[in-house]
Amino acid sequence: MSTKHQNKRLKWSLDTVRNRNPAEGLPGPPAYNVSGPASSFEVSRSTDVGHLITKKSWDLALAPLKQVPMNLFIMYMAGNSVSIFPIMMVGMLLMRPIQAIWSTKSTFKMLENTSAFGQMFVYVLGNFINIGLALYKCKSMGLLPTHPSDWLAFVEPPVRLEFLGGGVTLL
Amino acid sequence: MANFRSIIATISLTIFSINFSNAIYEDQVGKFDWKRSFIGKVKHARFHHKRLIVTTQENVIASLSLKSDQILWRQQLESPPDHQPQLLHADRDIISVSGSKNSFYVRAWDTPTGSLLWEWSTVTERNVDSFWAVNGEILIHIVPIPGSHMEVAHYDVKTGESGKSRKIDATWVGGWNKCATANPYFVCISNGQLFWVDIVSDESKVSSHSIQALTGEADPGNLQLMEFEGPKPGVLLLRGANARLVEIEGGSVRALSYSLLPNAICVENSIFQLEANLDNPEKLIRVKSKNLLTGHDEMSVEIDYPLGLGGPYIVSGECRGAICDLLLSSTDNALTLVRLPEGKVIWTREEALSDIVAVEFFELPVSELDVSIENEFTTSSNDVINMLSHRLSTQTKQLYSLVLGGQLMANNGLVRDDFGLHKIIVVATSVGKLFGIDTLTGSIVWSYRLPNVKPFNDVTMMLLVQRTARYSPLPAQCLLLAQDANSGAGVIFKFDPISGDSPRGIERLSYKIKQAMLLPSEDENHLKPVLVVASDNSLHVYPDDGRKIAEKHAEMTFVYTIDSTLLRGYKLTPNLSIGQVWEVNLGPSKLVAISTRPVSERVHSQGRVLPDRSVYYKYVNPNLIALATLIDDPVHKHVLSILLVDGVTGLVLYSTSHKRANGPVHLVHSENWLVYTFFNERFRRNEIVAAELYEGGTQSNSTAFSSFGLSQLPHVQTQSYILPANPVSMAVTLTERGITNKFLLVGMTSGGVVEIPWILLQPRFADIPCGPEESCIPYMPEIPLPAEATINYNQSLGRIRGIEVAPARLESTSHVLVYGLDLFYTRVAPSKTFDVLKEDFDHRLIVLVLSGLIIACYVTKYMASRKLLRQSWK
Repeated sequence: MSTKHQNKRLKWSLDTVRNRNPAEGLPGPPAYNVSGPASSFEVSRSTDVGHLITKKSWDLALAPLKQVPMNLFIMYMAGNSVSIFPIMMVGMLLMRPIQAIWSTKSTFKMLENTSAFGQMFVYVLGNFINIGLALYKCKSMGLLPTHPSDWLAFVEPPVRLEFLGGGVTLL
Repeated sequence: MANFRSIIATISLTIFSINFSNAIYEDQVGKFDWKRSFIGKVKHARFHHKRLIVTTQENVIASLSLKSDQILWRQQLESPPDHQPQLLHADRDIISVSGSKNSFYVRAWDTPTGSLLWEWSTVTERNVDSFWAVNGEILIHIVPIPGSHMEVAHYDVKTGESGKSRKIDATWVGGWNKCATANPYFVCISNGQLFWVDIVSDESKVSSHSIQALTGEADPGNLQLMEFEGPKPGVLLLRGANARLVEIEGGSVRALSYSLLPNAICVENSIFQLEANLDNPEKLIRVKSKNLLTGHDEMSVEIDYPLGLGGPYIVSGECRGAICDLLLSSTDNALTLVRLPEGKVIWTREEALSDIVAVEFFELPVSELDVSIENEFTTSSNDVINMLSHRLSTQTKQLYSLVLGGQLMANNGLVRDDFGLHKIIVVATSVGKLFGIDTLTGSIVWSYRLPNVKPFNDVTMMLLVQRTARYSPLPAQCLLLAQDANSGAGVIFKFDPISGDSPRGIERLSYKIKQAMLLPSEDENHLKPVLVVASDNSLHVYPDDGRKIAEKHAEMTFVYTIDSTLLRGYKLTPNLSIGQVWEVNLGPSKLVAISTRPVSERVHSQGRVLPDRSVYYKYVNPNLIALATLIDDPVHKHVLSILLVDGVTGLVLYSTSHKRANGPVHLVHSENWLVYTFFNERFRRNEIVAAELYEGGTQSNSTAFSSFGLSQLPHVQTQSYILPANPVSMAVTLTERGITNKFLLVGMTSGGVVEIPWILLQPRFADIPCGPEESCIPYMPEIPLPAEATINYNQSLGRIRGIEVAPARLESTSHVLVYGLDLFYTRVAPSKTFDVLKEDFDHRLIVLVLSGLIIACYVTKYMASRKLLRQSWK
């Protein structure tokens, strides 16, 4: 048992007492570049913070639009039959953009003291596109009351303008 | 492929038929339906083996119990009025002869069971009223030919084998009430002489005697003969209200010295007759009995004859020792069994109900308590103290009724229930008696006899609802229109349909009624005026104050009348007279059926949804009259024509004809459709045709309907089916708002009433696929009539004459009354009772589960908080 242990030890070992020329000095630790940090610091310094925020905000604004292909795919997969899962999916498709639109302000709050009207507009637009998609889905599933037959139950019976009485003569 | 389709069709059919049949379970029998059986006006009656055997004008032979008014058995013979019972003879078995004027059926019945023992029939050439008598085993048929001779034929009563038959020359033979049988003699009166001949023995010796010498009265006057059954052969000689008994013995005849009343009967050696009792206002009728031999009065008993029944006469009687039973019939067809010597009425049967001519359903008034609650919101003033006292009194009443269990219910529990299932059916009968019948129990709540009143054309009376019970404290009000039996002039009877009270009684009018209608609008007392058209086309408004309303609505009121060949449309002018606007001549064809939409019907859905989700609008015209006419044709035997005429404009909207079609035709028009049945002579089967009217894809005017606003004729869809039954009456269900599906109720000759879903009959569109998705059943040529569709299950109804339907306040349910010889009431729910919980709904379980869950919630809440507390202390 002990010999085996030793064998394992012999396989790989770090030699810390190796003789080295002291004049060379110690090499830097792995992945340490002596000249590196100063220059990279200079680069980040030179780029504007505002630019980063803009970039981030555009990411946020375009997120709904990026969802459109995915939503299209989900819609295609869900089919047009009216059953619980497609209904749930359509519900989600419809509800998420609406919620997103409602919370637009809080979403863009993290981009402090910059007023990103353009991004907000694009964000809302993207959400509206998603709502439109969901509505289209509802329509193709027949959930929208767009036909006259959907309103038939509310049609009041017409008022009679003439009254008729009579029958076989009783004479 | 065809096979596959047929399988699909069968499956879908089974699915649908399971869905549609509303059969009841065995334990539901009699729960919301009831049946009352009747026999009609009694013609002959015999007491036989402690029961009563009667034949009636409805051509029914029945056995009644002596203890209760129960029918032990009842056999319907050929249909009246052509066939009538001629003779009832009770010997060992019961022998009945019934028939028309020239064909007769002789039958023997087993007394305990009512089963037919044997039967034979005979046909004679003569078409006159004839007489029958039984002597031992011989049945004797006497055909008098007035002024000429008489034919006497003998038959063996069992086999029908003809015995001797002979002609007796007799110029003295007269008609119905101039001759009578007095076994074994046949007696007639002619020219003041009494003639008689022995009809049993061979000799045809005619004997005669002067009546003047017989009775000792100088002026014979207008005499009549009546049969009289006594120990000796005899007849009653009638002059006005006075009768003398004439006994015949061989060649001699003698009149008994005392005089009798025409309704006298003889039981053993006593003669019983009814007399008016003027001494006691409580008991108006008295039975007097006389000794047959001496004519001395034996007893005189006042009977407690029920008030409200018509004038009685004795039909038959039987004595067992000192106790005598008398069967009385009355002018209003009621049947009463009276036991002497107490004079007690054992039972009464209202046989008037076997001939109903008009039916109306009435909602009951709300209870006193509900009225007071309603009043709190309407009448109470702004005064605080007033309101408080009102509130207190209401609440005490509520408490009082809660404790005492609804004693505050107005007049014997006749109060409205939540669902409007408790109603009163008011029926008018052909004898002029009105009844109020409770729908829950089928018992008679009130009755009112109108003397000397008959139905119009002997078939119908009019019941017009002027005010329902909705407007308490104003009572409901109904009008009955009928004809005076003597003059034929109109009769108006105003009454409260709930209690049967009539403050003014019967009003006889001076004119004849041609037609009448209820005006659509109410006056300030919520009373709808009735417009009566007299025979001279003058208009009368009832009540008189309704004239203003009638004048106000004259512009929009139209009247039509139908003679046998002419349809006439009239328009009201503002000064209340009518002028003819249009006329349709039916020519030589005969009008066989007519139908209009029920006045109270509401159409909920204005169109039909097509598979592409567009709407095909219905053509719902409330002014349509559906007519069926028959005409003889040299090629096609008979041709049936169906017409749909607009009653306002006279425009024929639709007409069709069927060749080789014959009656009976039954028509039902409802919503935008029409259903009719007829007999197809070519295929010898009954067919049923449905026609539906559509306006098209757009509605020309969605807010108002006018018959004049027709831009184009409606599209008509039709489809016909085979009906594997013989219909005698047809009706359609009615519901409060018209949302529920429609059922067609068809009464059949077999005594069943089946419901046929309208969806089975509804014409299918040719270009539209039909399947379960469209809730459309593929076309089947034959209408299935499963046993479960029979609403009266195994209770066959005799001679159904009509079916009356009324909506309940529950949308799903409608009331049905089938009348004829029997009365049958039930409720039908075409779409099942979707608006109430099922009868077997487990209220206890759901309360138990809910309360258990609530308790568990609180227990776990408490336990959780305790655990939390303990954990935080650790």
